[in-house]
Amino acid sequence: MMKKFTALFLFFSIVFAIVLNSCKKEPVEPTIPEVPEAPAPTPTEPTPLPTGVSVDLSTVPYQKLSEYRFFKGQMKDQVPEDGVMPYQLASSLFTDYALKKRFVWLPSGLKGTYIADNKIIELPVGAALIKTFYYDNVQPSGVTKILETRIMIKKSTGWIFAEYVWNEEQTEATLQMDGSNIPISWSQNGTIKSANYRIPSALECLTCHKTNNNPIPIGIQPQNLNNNFTYTSGTFNQLQHWVSKGILENNLPANIVSTIDYKDSSKPLRERLRSFLDINCAHCHRENSHCDYRPLRLAYSETILPENMGICVTPDETLDPMLIKIILPGNFNKSMMHFRLSSTDESNRMPLLGRTIIDEEAVQLLKDYITSINDCNG
Amino acid sequence: MKKILLSTFIAIFSQGIAQAQQSCATAQVINAGVYGMTAINGTQVPGSICISGSLTATAANWYKYTPTQDYAVTITSDFPSNGLTDNRVNVYTGSCGALTCVDGDDDSGNNALCVVTFNCTANNDYYIVFDNQWSSNGFMFELIEDTIQTPNPTNITFSPVSLSSVSGSVMAAVDMNGDHLDDIVSVNATTIQIRKQNSNGTFTTSNYTTTTAQNTPSWSLAAGDLNEDGYNDLLYGGGSGVTFMISDSGGTGYTQVSGPEYVFSQRSNFVDMNNDGHLDAFVCHDVAPNVYYINDGSGNLTFNQGGVGDHPNGGNYGSIWVDYNNDQLPDLFIAKCRGGAGTAKINELHKNNGNGTFTNVSNGTNMADPIQTWSSAWNDFDNDGWMDVVVGASSNADGMHKFMHNNGDGTFTDITSGSGIDTYPGMSIEYVSYDFNNDGFADVLTNSNILYNNGNNTFTTVPYSISVGSIGDLNNDGFLDVLNGSTLHLNQGNNNNWLTVTVEGTNSNKNGIGARVEIYGAWGKQIRDVRSGVGFRYMGTLNAHFGLGTASSIDSVIVRWPSGNIDLVCNPIKNSVLHIIENSGVVPTATFTAGSNTIDEGQSITFTDASEPCVTSWNWSVDPASGWQFTNSNSSSTNPTITFNIPGTYVVSLEAINGNGSSTNISVDTIQVNSTAGLTETALSNIVLYPNPVNNTLHIANGNFGITGVRMFSILGEEISVSYSTNDSSLPVTHLKSGTYFLELTGNNGERVVKRFTKQ
Repeated sequence: MMKKFTALFLFFSIVFAIVLNSCKKEPVEPTIPEVPEAPAPTPTEPTPLPTGVSVDLSTVPYQKLSEYRFFKGQMKDQVPEDGVMPYQLASSLFTDYALKKRFVWLPSGLKGTYIADNKIIELPVGAALIKTFYYDNVQPSGVTKILETRIMIKKSTGWIFAEYVWNEEQTEATLQMDGSNIPISWSQNGTIKSANYRIPSALECLTCHKTNNNPIPIGIQPQNLNNNFTYTSGTFNQLQHWVSKGILENNLPANIVSTIDYKDSSKPLRERLRSFLDINCAHCHRENSHCDYRPLRLAYSETILPENMGICVTPDETLDPMLIKIILPGNFNKSMMHFRLSSTDESNRMPLLGRTIIDEEAVQLLKDYITSINDCNG
Repeated sequence: MKKILLSTFIAIFSQGIAQAQQSCATAQVINAGVYGMTAINGTQVPGSICISGSLTATAANWYKYTPTQDYAVTITSDFPSNGLTDNRVNVYTGSCGALTCVDGDDDSGNNALCVVTFNCTANNDYYIVFDNQWSSNGFMFELIEDTIQTPNPTNITFSPVSLSSVSGSVMAAVDMNGDHLDDIVSVNATTIQIRKQNSNGTFTTSNYTTTTAQNTPSWSLAAGDLNEDGYNDLLYGGGSGVTFMISDSGGTGYTQVSGPEYVFSQRSNFVDMNNDGHLDAFVCHDVAPNVYYINDGSGNLTFNQGGVGDHPNGGNYGSIWVDYNNDQLPDLFIAKCRGGAGTAKINELHKNNGNGTFTNVSNGTNMADPIQTWSSAWNDFDNDGWMDVVVGASSNADGMHKFMHNNGDGTFTDITSGSGIDTYPGMSIEYVSYDFNNDGFADVLTNSNILYNNGNNTFTTVPYSISVGSIGDLNNDGFLDVLNGSTLHLNQGNNNNWLTVTVEGTNSNKNGIGARVEIYGAWGKQIRDVRSGVGFRYMGTLNAHFGLGTASSIDSVIVRWPSGNIDLVCNPIKNSVLHIIENSGVVPTATFTAGSNTIDEGQSITFTDASEPCVTSWNWSVDPASGWQFTNSNSSSTNPTITFNIPGTYVVSLEAINGNGSSTNISVDTIQVNSTAGLTETALSNIVLYPNPVNNTLHIANGNFGITGVRMFSILGEEISVSYSTNDSSLPVTHLKSGTYFLELTGNNGERVVKRFTKQ
């Protein structure tokens, strides 16, 4: 039966099937969406040129998302154009349970360069990172709804942000850099959840995406990409695949210290928490970031040290006399990190931006980890 | 391991593990010593706890202690052997069924263990109760008896009161309805709850439903009367925008006004930025130049960005409006914070130019400091008439707190070293300054500590279980209280005197925000600014609160309004609330008494001022303008002495002036100066001097008056020699300077008359 379907239908059927399955026991986000890639090159011919995509650095950001021609067919299907590479991160930022599809595009013939396991892959001028945020099972009718597509484009002067908000018809997305809110309700594992979803302004983008106030990407570090992704042509390690597709220089080290999926309960608690903290918190809690004046250093490469993770560290601010340590071993009730992760108040919650509701799975992960430790060594 | 270790300790130290601690009635009797318990499993849970926090415990162990003499008793579970066991203690007194709280603690020890010290009275019963809010595991604790330390009598204590049925976040202690009694304001997205303080000390709670606020005050709240209807409006500083809740006239509801602009709000303030008499609103922007909303006085707010702290990356956290240069215009200090390299973390001071523009004077004033700070505490800490500041660190990444003394010449000097600010180890996002102990010196409150001002630019830190919140006088007793969430910490006061000044603008904005209030007395001078929005998050009283220490009287109060108006009140009553309406200040009524009303020529009279109130200068005058002189005094003396040289009738006038203006009346009195010859002027009135004015020769037409003597005087009473010719009854005046002169003529019978002439 399935064999009779077109590849496209096959793809979406699988995605929906996985989503439905996953609804029963775990959140949607860890599901690895299967996205068709550009056609595999025939061995004797060079990689086809990305003829469809248009990124004119002198005129971007365009007013309409469709002008980039990143996607084939109906744009809402998010089928990438030739040369647009889908990817995933081992762990991802929690944004009110929104689902995401990520793509990278490089100008023909150019490559990214590995710098370090925990450093952004150096991308050439002209490169674009594309990230679409959507929900399944949107109430009341249970449809899939795309809210926004965020693009970062590397110009010769540095990275720029372009924020596109989708229309109700899901036919087009329009540049909107001032920020807005979209109330949305959806079914999450059978439970109706609601959020006043935040479309970020350019300033909000920069608050997280910066080092010393210069815009930078966050996710595309080798440590986050060193995992398998299921392309239409098969399942491959993403970094190896990028090399084979000619968009990443072949200078990868043999061993890459890598993050894991924080929602993978088969993995050790500490590694899961460190992976969660890296992608959700480290953009502010690292050197030269928005909040580097606080003692936390939450990048995966830095949380090897328990004090960088806040274990047995007294918070600068006494929010409540009860919250005596950022993490008090064995006692999440008295741990500031648990309080902040569990809060939705704008001035108490962490992360500061990107969520308005609680990441229940992350809170549980943190509770489990704190309960599991009984000294300051974590 | 842990259990074995604990058991060992219990075996060694405990004076018995009883199972009798199940309830109040069966409480285990204890004395000084170490005790252990295997688990918290008592069946009676106390009805309430004595510290903030929730009570969902299901079991509690009870101990009863009856001291044989007065002691300071410490209960501690802070033993390493207790490991990570998280316990909590509450202490009650009284009898079972009628227990009252004494004290309690949750986490003062290491690793969330508890330590509490309280004073006990001999032969009273104390119940020490551990509940299983956090853990039912057993642990050991110790009861220690110590002598009671006499507290510093000037340090105040706070007594917590729980507010019931609070809706939303408690954000303000400020008058909302124009009676100048501080009210309690809490808000959520759809409700403004106001507990209006009544004059009898009770509160009346009203809930006002609003449309769903586009932005909630998660970062800050400010209050001020934008539409000048007598009811304060609110500003909600949200993470992605700003919402105003504007009172309808009559204070029966609030209407939302929300701007579409993205603003990552931090501290917000109401202040009249362009000095047009209408309150504007200012909001710190975390990640961009600051924004402000200009009020046209007709209820229209116009969004502005730029001109007042324009760093492109923001870093603006704690704005506070303070008149640092005493020009009667509120200036702006911004406590700044930002990670990474760059200058967004450099604090900024902006001088108000008085025309809606501001000049960044951070560098020239010595205030450009990279301290990572979210708020600063401004007050005149040494009562020299100039606003000083404690810039409080939120992080030690770029230096700790600084205490900057205002030199009064537009610069500040770092006097942190040795002040006690340098050794204060805490950090916080909240620093505010008020005189909490009413000793006449402004203190600093930050989380869990009051830094008491010793009056000599040093501070003494005293810990409290309160944090910065909304601060106001919520029982109208002249001592400032602190709101922390739904707990009202009432200042228990001391014997110091106080004065609260409430202001109401007319030409200036109605709240009088930006006004400078000065009080004068034995201490010299104290000053306050009326500010909307101090510290980082909360809104406190708009009343100017002064402690007087032991001083029993206040000479005067001056309010310098943003409009330029000045009001002055004399001798207000201590320990009272003084309400001052702009331009209502009373000008003096001039009045005086004369030592005598009739004298002989050449004699003096002392005039004694009796003008009221609060006269600061005097202006005496005499008509005619000649024939007299001040003696050891002048026209601006309080009680001048005047010598009258020439017989005649004089009118003495007094104008009195105070800070509110000149007396509307001129007080007058008539002085009769008689000739020592005893003759009256009337009999000699037929004598004429001509020509008058005169150039060269003055003639005297004297009728039958036989002139035997002629003397001449200047207007100052100085005698000038004359050469009188009896032949033609004339005298030469060519040599005289232009001006007024007098001739004293003596007749055949010794009678004298004085005539005036003018030399051209």
